[in-house]
Amino acid sequence: MNCRDLERIMIEGDMGATSVFPPEAEEHLLTCLRCKEIVGALRMPSGEETGMSPALTRLASGLAADISPTRPMAPAGFYLTAFLGIFASIVSFGVFREGTRALSAMSLLQILSILGALGACAFLLASSLVAQMAPGSLHRFRPEYLPATVVVTLSVVAGALFQFGDATRFWVRGWGCLRMGFPFALLAAGPFWVVLRRGAILSPRAAGAAAGLLAGLAGTSVLEIHCPNLDLSHILVWHVGVSVLGSLCGLGAGVVAESLASSSVELRGLKS
Amino acid sequence: MLGTSYTIREKILPGCVTSSVTVAKNQQMESAVLERSAPARSMNDQDYWMVRYQQADPEAPGALINALSPALLRFFRSQSGSREQADDLLQETWMRIHRVRHTYRPGEPVLPWVYAIARRVRVDGYRKTRRVTAHETAMEVLPEAPQIVERRSSPFDFETLIAALPEAQREVIVMLKVGGLTLEEAARATSSTVGAVKQKAHRAYEKLRTILECRAKDAAGGEL
Repeated sequence: MNCRDLERIMIEGDMGATSVFPPEAEEHLLTCLRCKEIVGALRMPSGEETGMSPALTRLASGLAADISPTRPMAPAGFYLTAFLGIFASIVSFGVFREGTRALSAMSLLQILSILGALGACAFLLASSLVAQMAPGSLHRFRPEYLPATVVVTLSVVAGALFQFGDATRFWVRGWGCLRMGFPFALLAAGPFWVVLRRGAILSPRAAGAAAGLLAGLAGTSVLEIHCPNLDLSHILVWHVGVSVLGSLCGLGAGVVAESLASSSVELRGLKS
Repeated sequence: MLGTSYTIREKILPGCVTSSVTVAKNQQMESAVLERSAPARSMNDQDYWMVRYQQADPEAPGALINALSPALLRFFRSQSGSREQADDLLQETWMRIHRVRHTYRPGEPVLPWVYAIARRVRVDGYRKTRRVTAHETAMEVLPEAPQIVERRSSPFDFETLIAALPEAQREVIVMLKVGGLTLEEAARATSSTVGAVKQKAHRAYEKLRTILECRAKDAAGGEL
C-alpha cells in the first residue's frame, strides 16, 4: 500500500470521524510520516460538541409543538409523468390549433431527428426538475449547466439538419413565429409552477431557468410542427429563441423568488 | 429480532398514513419494537426518525436535532468561522427542514437531504451577510468591525487546516469527514456528480499534504 492507496481509502471508503483503517493502511501509517500527519489532522476529536444547546432544546420543543402529519412527496416517476404529460398536452393543443404544415415540408429524417431531440431535451429537463424538487436527489447533470447544454444541443441538431436559405422578411416572419410560440410557453409555465410548488426548490434560479426552458420547448415544438420555413437562421433565432426567452423569463422569476425568500428570512430573523 | 423489527418498520413506513389513529397505533408498535431492538439500530436511525417526523411524532425533532446538530454545526463553523453565525444558520436549517419535511422520501438517505438544505441555508446566510456588510460599508460612518476569528488550538488541527482550502473543496471534506457522508451522498447533497466530488476530495488532499509539509518545514526551521 502506498500514499495514493491510502488517500483512495480515505476518500472512497466509509471513513467518517471515528472509523478504523484496514490493517494494510495501518501498516502504511506506521512507516509514512506524511500520511500519518494528514490522517491525524483530519481525525475529528471525539466527544466534542455533543448534546444540545439550550437554544436547540427550545427549538426542538417548538418544532414538536408545531408538528402535524405530512404526506411525503410522491415518487419521482409521478412528477416526471406530470411534467411530460403537461408538455405533451400543450404541444398537442398547439398542433391541433395551428396545424402541421411543417411536417409536409420536412423529410422523414428531419422530422424524426428534430422531434426526437426536442423530446429528449424535454425529458432531461423534466428529470432535472423532479430531482430539484426533492433536496438531496441524485443529479445526472448539474442543474446549473443543463439549460445552456440543452440550447446548444438543439442548435447543433438544427444546424446539422437544416441549411441557411431564403431569409427574406426575416423579422416579419420571425416575429409571427415568436408571437405564435411564446403564448404556448406561457400556457405550459402555469401548470409547471403548480407541480414545482409541491417540492422544496433550493435553487430557484436553476429551477426557474429549467422550468422556463421546458415551457419554451413546448412552444418551440409547436413551431417545429407548424412552421414550414426551414431556413436555419429562422429556426435558430425564432424557434429556438422561444425556448431561450422562456428560460430567461424563468431565470428572472427565480431571481425574484430568491430575493423574496431571503427577505422573508430576514423578516423572520427580525421578529424572532 | 433485527429482521422482525425491520419487517415491521418496512410495513409501517411506506404508507406514512396521516390519520391520527393510525399514527398512534404505529407509535405503539414502533415503541415496542424500539424497546426490543434499540441496540441493533444504527445509521438507519435517522431515516427512521425522519419518517416519524413526517408522521408527527413529537419526539422525532428532538432525536434528529440531537443526532445531526453537532456535525451540522461543524459544517457551518468550517464555512463561516464565527460560532454565533453558525448557531444562527443551524437554527435556520432546522426551521427550514421543518417546513419542507414532506419532501423527504422514505427509503432515501436522510443525510444528503439534510446537508442539501443546510448548504442552501449557508448560501442564503452568506448572501444576507454580504448585503448587510455592503450596506454598512456604504454608510462610511461606522468603523470597520473586527473580524471574528476564533482561537485555534493547534496549527495542525482540523479546522485550521481546512480553512486553507477553497470553499468547494472544504465543503466536500467536511461532508465526508465530519458529516460521515459517502461519496454518493456528498454528490447528492451538492447537486453534483460522484466524479466531481471525488476530484474535489483528491485536490483537497493534495493541498492539505502541501500545507502540512510547509508547516512541518516551518516548525523545523523555528526549532533551529
